[in-house]
Amino acid sequence: MSKAANIEPPPEANTSAEFPTPYLGRSVRFVGKFVNVDMKQSPHPKNQRGELGKPLFNWYHNTVSKDPLTRVSAPNHFADRRHFLSTVVNQAAKGKVNPQKVPVSDAAAMARHIKAVARYMGADIVQIAKSHPSYLYAAGGGRYVQDGTAKDDHAADTPEDLARKFPYLIMSTTAWDYDKLQAHRHLIGDAAYHISQIKGNMILKALEGYIKELGYTVLRGVAVPQAVGIASGVGELGRNGLVINKKFGARVHMPDPIMTDLPLVADEPVDIGVEDFCKICRKCANTCPTNSIPFGDKVVHNGVEKYKINWLTCYKLRPYVHDHWGSCLTCATVCPYTKPQAWWHNLATSTLHNCPFILRPILIRFLKWIDDTFWGVVRNGRVQWLGYDSGVKPGEHACTVAGCNASHEKAGATAVAGNVGYYAPLKENTNRFVKREP
Amino acid sequence: MALKLPRFGLAGQDSHRDDPYWDFFIHTPPADLTNTVTKLVRNAPAGNIFPTKAELHSPEITASHVKGMAQYFGAELIGIARLDDRSPLALAEESKGGAEGEPKNDEANNLPFAVACAVHADYDPRTSPGIGGQMPVQNGLFITFVLSAWIRELGFRAIVLRDADNDALAAKAGLGHLNGQGRLVTAKFGAKVYVADPIYTDLPLAADG
Repeated sequence: MSKAANIEPPPEANTSAEFPTPYLGRSVRFVGKFVNVDMKQSPHPKNQRGELGKPLFNWYHNTVSKDPLTRVSAPNHFADRRHFLSTVVNQAAKGKVNPQKVPVSDAAAMARHIKAVARYMGADIVQIAKSHPSYLYAAGGGRYVQDGTAKDDHAADTPEDLARKFPYLIMSTTAWDYDKLQAHRHLIGDAAYHISQIKGNMILKALEGYIKELGYTVLRGVAVPQAVGIASGVGELGRNGLVINKKFGARVHMPDPIMTDLPLVADEPVDIGVEDFCKICRKCANTCPTNSIPFGDKVVHNGVEKYKINWLTCYKLRPYVHDHWGSCLTCATVCPYTKPQAWWHNLATSTLHNCPFILRPILIRFLKWIDDTFWGVVRNGRVQWLGYDSGVKPGEHACTVAGCNASHEKAGATAVAGNVGYYAPLKENTNRFVKREP
Repeated sequence: MALKLPRFGLAGQDSHRDDPYWDFFIHTPPADLTNTVTKLVRNAPAGNIFPTKAELHSPEITASHVKGMAQYFGAELIGIARLDDRSPLALAEESKGGAEGEPKNDEANNLPFAVACAVHADYDPRTSPGIGGQMPVQNGLFITFVLSAWIRELGFRAIVLRDADNDALAAKAGLGHLNGQGRLVTAKFGAKVYVADPIYTDLPLAADG
């Protein structure tokens, strides 16, 4: 059976002649009436208003991390806001669009240029989507850039108006590094996640400024990042609710996309086998500390067929582990697509991509067996980095840096040996948040 | 694995020969400087020093952790210089011929160490005023902003000082030597290197050089 025969045409829901129902690949489908996402009802804004309860509100607004690196790299847990680069960058004054527009006679050349520029600035992935009203936040809901502002002259425009005026969405993003991610649910994993995030924010700001210098308008805080990530071909949506990329797996940020009227050529959604893999694998659902990832089939939510995670239970864990880490990342780490850059990883993803659909379940079971056997179901290895050591049990102190002869008041008694890492909380202790599905 | 910063190698330049807009990116100065990240980050005020000092390792190990952190933020060459009796303020004023050095107070005095970070720069930021030509500056600012903030969060003073003689300081920190024009030349990148604004600190470190 050919691949083309397996790809069903998009259904005719939410269709108009001007904006036909978008095709988002095999992992997500529009199947019914869709209502644009109200930005104010997304998790962080709800929490900012205190609608998710006091523990989460206080965790978000009133906690200072014990870790100096977290205080400069993670949103909202700083002792001094001026140390958090994303705040500095996102809250800065907005530059003007250059009145001397650079003419674009070849949109394909400009698309290649913008991608080259973003990569030159340090982005790991740059993709372009054709704007569609479905990807945009609902009208009147305002803009959303975490820890920043995104006011513009088009705030009153409907999603349709915006899609007409600004036909392209650029997703430029960074990946966090594989080695430190192995110490997820630990400050080491947090460092990988947060440093690449602030670096990515700075790249987006620089790219935004450059497009203005080319003489074109840029809007921020307008589009749902995951929708743009899938539409532009960054990856497919996995069972874990994350966009999974062929090269980096689930260890990619989905930051706020750039919407622009710069003439470009859009990319297409991709098929890297995530749709087939997630039906069988379920590693993320098995290992999620809060059981927030479904074991069952996709559901239709707001007219979209997809795997739907329980974001609230995922979110609710954070205040309880604040002393030990900030970002869980378990589902991203255990995903079999999340692997280092190596020939065997490229071979596996390419083989899966080129495999006929009918044979994919056999191949996937084999690949998952390899992953479980050689990588493991979940990692509990010890990771050491610049004085951080996941071999030290949560709540205890020890200096494990070889050759350190400083006297440490807190370092104590704990002898650390072996290659075991400790990552709080243990799965069996978290059922209070939500029971696993039967 | 260190955070990836863009590579500016000759192959990179060659690969942009077919790009009709690349010259604009590298060489056209911005019409509005607010569109550049470099201006935003440079003008950002430094934050406060965390009131409780972190428990440190020995100076040698703390120095290696500072270098490891800088490398993770994207620095390709890192060195630490001991300033002896020459304060950062004095250095800044020297480099400007005794004119208007920054800062104008004693805040920068009595900081015994300078951390010099450098990145590869295929285009010289002094002759490439475009946003692309200024990328080494942007990368350097990212490194020094986050690194200095981290040192302050450790409970120690850290000041990023503009207008110091960065190349001379980098040579003193062991990153390379100065050529006839007073520019840093390194074994790894030759003269195609950009030294970020140095960080002056009282964090107990072991100096290189």
